[in-house]
Amino acid sequence: MVKRNSFKIFFAVQNALFLRELNMRFSSGRMGLFWTFFEPFFQILIFVLIKVALFGSAESHFDFAVFLALNFTAFNLFKNIVTKSINSFKANKALFLYKQVKPIDTILARIIVEIFITAIIIVMFLGIGVYFNFDIVIKDISMVAFGFLVLIVFSFSLALFLSILNIFVDSVSKLIGFSMTALMFGSAVFYAIDMLPLNVQKILLYNPLTHIMEIIHGSYFSVLDDSYVDYTYILVWTLSLLYIGLWSYVKLEKRIVSA
Amino acid sequence: MIELKDVTKYFQTKNGKNYILKDVTFSIPSDVNIGILGRNGTGKSTLMRMLGQIEFPNNGKITSNKSFSWPLGLSGGFVGNMTGKANVKFVCRLYGKNSDEIKDIIQFVKEFSELGNYFDMPIRTYSSGMKGRLSFGLSLAFDFDYMLIDETLSVGDARFKKKSKEALLKKIENCNILLVSHDMNTLRELCESGIVVDKGKMYYFDKIEDAIIEYNEINKKVK
Repeated sequence: MVKRNSFKIFFAVQNALFLRELNMRFSSGRMGLFWTFFEPFFQILIFVLIKVALFGSAESHFDFAVFLALNFTAFNLFKNIVTKSINSFKANKALFLYKQVKPIDTILARIIVEIFITAIIIVMFLGIGVYFNFDIVIKDISMVAFGFLVLIVFSFSLALFLSILNIFVDSVSKLIGFSMTALMFGSAVFYAIDMLPLNVQKILLYNPLTHIMEIIHGSYFSVLDDSYVDYTYILVWTLSLLYIGLWSYVKLEKRIVSA
Repeated sequence: MIELKDVTKYFQTKNGKNYILKDVTFSIPSDVNIGILGRNGTGKSTLMRMLGQIEFPNNGKITSNKSFSWPLGLSGGFVGNMTGKANVKFVCRLYGKNSDEIKDIIQFVKEFSELGNYFDMPIRTYSSGMKGRLSFGLSLAFDFDYMLIDETLSVGDARFKKKSKEALLKKIENCNILLVSHDMNTLRELCESGIVVDKGKMYYFDKIEDAIIEYNEINKKVK
């Protein structure tokens, strides 16, 4: 057998896992695939309707539908990375039979699949935006991309930490389910932090995800900005989670493999 | 050459530690086919998994410059929702095969496993015999220095058993096997040397016949 170097092995494993994850998505029935791409549409529809019902119109000083599309795309990416990763050690246990498959590979593969699906959704939304003449002009595209990058690193760090916890502590995945709903309301997904009263702002700004969402929509719309974002706060959260996640992974990898 | 250095492996049980290996320093010579014998629960499969690097000693090191297959069991890491073909493709990709090689391997496995139309059906529709045939065919398609086999020879009907034994005999002209089995005839047929695992120790025998005699001795003592 020809000896392969570590990078070659890593890329072969990622390639195999990525295609396998896609295959599993596509082969698990048509409805699963349908909801993957249409869930964001229903979310937007519901919140536009709520806004119309509460305030009489969807008019804002920016396009509210575009605002929701952007925010739900970002939030769903976070949610899916965390919820899909969390069971990946248990679900892929049989694969650890092959020594080149490390537990962290299965998380990375799922995250890459999520990013891939999100990219398709973004292209879909942009297409619809152009076709139906929504105001999709981006103020600072590189900062929006940066926001997404931060979001991905943050989600990965949290996902890694929680998946390890999920191996040793029961009902972690149940709690994540609840927390995701709470986070959707508390993370500046269907509002900008600027629209809220001061005392509510204060509480919500403890949530690091709020800051990341603020970077993303703050640099997308010309009427919004990132004045509420505390970059140091995001950095501290992300690096701490990443450190804890990687540290405990290195310590526990062998136990996860033969768990 | 496989080197075990101060290897200790135990499992935690309610009544303390159950030792599989206790401070074992040992080198397993190369280029021989080795049968592994031992009573149930003495850790033959664990030893196999440690050599395949998917189980790790609590202490000490196992090193080797040889390549090892995954431990071939009855149903190796298949995804129920994916077809047999997709599962074979997946394992090929894990080992970095290019698309031409993958095509050849798929053709080989399809023919060898005799699954017919089931090859393009999801694995969850397979019987356990069919899964075993697929898994055995797949393992023959790869080249390793050592194949780790954990009683997979008893797959399928009598005719398929004969066929897989012949295929394996041909395969071991170019590679070696480490075989866990309770079937003495299979061990005699495929292996030259033997290891007996008992009470945290490993005993190596140049001739498989001596290992079988030792194994029978141990069994007598238990009675």
